[in-house]
Amino acid sequence: MSAHPTEIKLHQQSRLLEIAFDDDACYQLPYEFLRVSSPSAEVRGHGVGQETLQVGKKNVDILEVLPVGNYAMKIVYDDGHDSGLYTWDYLYNLGKHQAELWQDYLEKLEAAGGSREHGSEPEVKAGGCGSGSGGGCGHH
Amino acid sequence: MSFSEADVQGALKNLIDPNTRKDFASGKVLKNVKIDGNNVSLDIVLGYPAKSVWDEIRAMIEAHLKAALPGSSVSVNVTSKVVQHTVQHGAKLVDGVRNIIAVASGKGGVGKSTTAVNIALALAAEGARVGMLDADIYGPSQPTMLGISGQPATDGEHFMTPMSNYGLQAMSIGFLIASDDTPMIWRGPMVTQALDQLLRQTRWDDLDYLIVDLPPGTGDIQLSLAQQVPLTGAVIVTTPQDIALMDARKGLKMFEKVGVKIVGIVENMSTHICSKCGHEEHIFGSGGGEKMCADYDTEFLGSLPLDIRIREQTDSGKPTVVSDPDGNIAKSYKQIARRIAVKVAEMAQNRTSVFPKVVVQNT
Repeated sequence: MSAHPTEIKLHQQSRLLEIAFDDDACYQLPYEFLRVSSPSAEVRGHGVGQETLQVGKKNVDILEVLPVGNYAMKIVYDDGHDSGLYTWDYLYNLGKHQAELWQDYLEKLEAAGGSREHGSEPEVKAGGCGSGSGGGCGHH
Repeated sequence: MSFSEADVQGALKNLIDPNTRKDFASGKVLKNVKIDGNNVSLDIVLGYPAKSVWDEIRAMIEAHLKAALPGSSVSVNVTSKVVQHTVQHGAKLVDGVRNIIAVASGKGGVGKSTTAVNIALALAAEGARVGMLDADIYGPSQPTMLGISGQPATDGEHFMTPMSNYGLQAMSIGFLIASDDTPMIWRGPMVTQALDQLLRQTRWDDLDYLIVDLPPGTGDIQLSLAQQVPLTGAVIVTTPQDIALMDARKGLKMFEKVGVKIVGIVENMSTHICSKCGHEEHIFGSGGGEKMCADYDTEFLGSLPLDIRIREQTDSGKPTVVSDPDGNIAKSYKQIARRIAVKVAEMAQNRTSVFPKVVVQNT
């Protein structure tokens, strides 16, 4: 069996989900990164080339995290998206390859001329969302 | 001469429980050791139901202690207390149920329902409180196999009281439909919803085990069960035939993918016993179940013959474990049931199936 999470912390101010695994790996994943990487069919489509690029999710909030059986969790976001089932393996992979995946997203976003900012909403707080510097736990 | 508690512990370290294959001093089995001069008394609390072997275990421990502590007079009290499946507080475990065990196969017709009902009855015979959830919405068999007819009573607005027979609590879509030949002509989402209602809107009464008889395949019902409840584990039923094993492998893989532990594999219809001459023949091939267990590193829980009595008894609503409780076939079912219970007790304490703690911080 692969790594199993032991604790999940939602840092609501800095919008970071901190996840610790039983092999001592620990990752801090920004809500925006999780949202745009949602494994839901709404985001991924039903095959290669059917993905829908997610834009304007910089300030997305997580409302709730719900258990799905023994193997995954469902994340409910404040933009109404709640159909993504994040398996432990998937979260582990997001953490492990966070930097590349985030860079990849930014490139796709730029190529498509999209923005991380929410369309009409005025920006309130910036700086909260990390840009993919994973690593150390013990965030206070 | 007098003894200390350490002497008793030390002696029991060398005695192995044949069911768990662990010694009696470890795993919180030994309780309440009292020593008064030469009199030693203690309780053994097994984590699995084993009524039929309590006496055997008591005799075994008493003899062992008397030999290890010469001059002592030993009195042992053996009971069982089924361990509850550990889940994170807040996870949606079903009310009134300590452990949920799915009985599944890839292929239809391998004897899942027959095996499931006999295992459930065997666990009940060993002293456990057991429920049976018939998750086969399109082809419910449990009402017939358990010899139950009629409709469940409602308990308040949202709950049903489970039906019961032979000491088993049971719920099936078969209890809720008008007649035996009414088909459930439903698409997936309806089926999933019906299953969820049968599971959660039944007032299960203090069950040690809920056995879920799954339909064949790896579709809506299997997946939604794995997602909606923290299953303690799954038992795979197969025949030794290659074509059944192929699908059993897929069933096993599906459970692995959704993080449900495999308790082990039961091989049904292992041999055919001729009802005329008693000749035993491997008509579906031999060793298939064992080989699959070796391939996937799971336990071979046991095998059952293709015997006309199992079919006749189960079809007539009186499964083998209750119609011939002391026969060889019932013994096999009980042995399998005990093995399942032991493995489930080990799994129940394993914290890797626990949903992680979720902390929300204003940081």
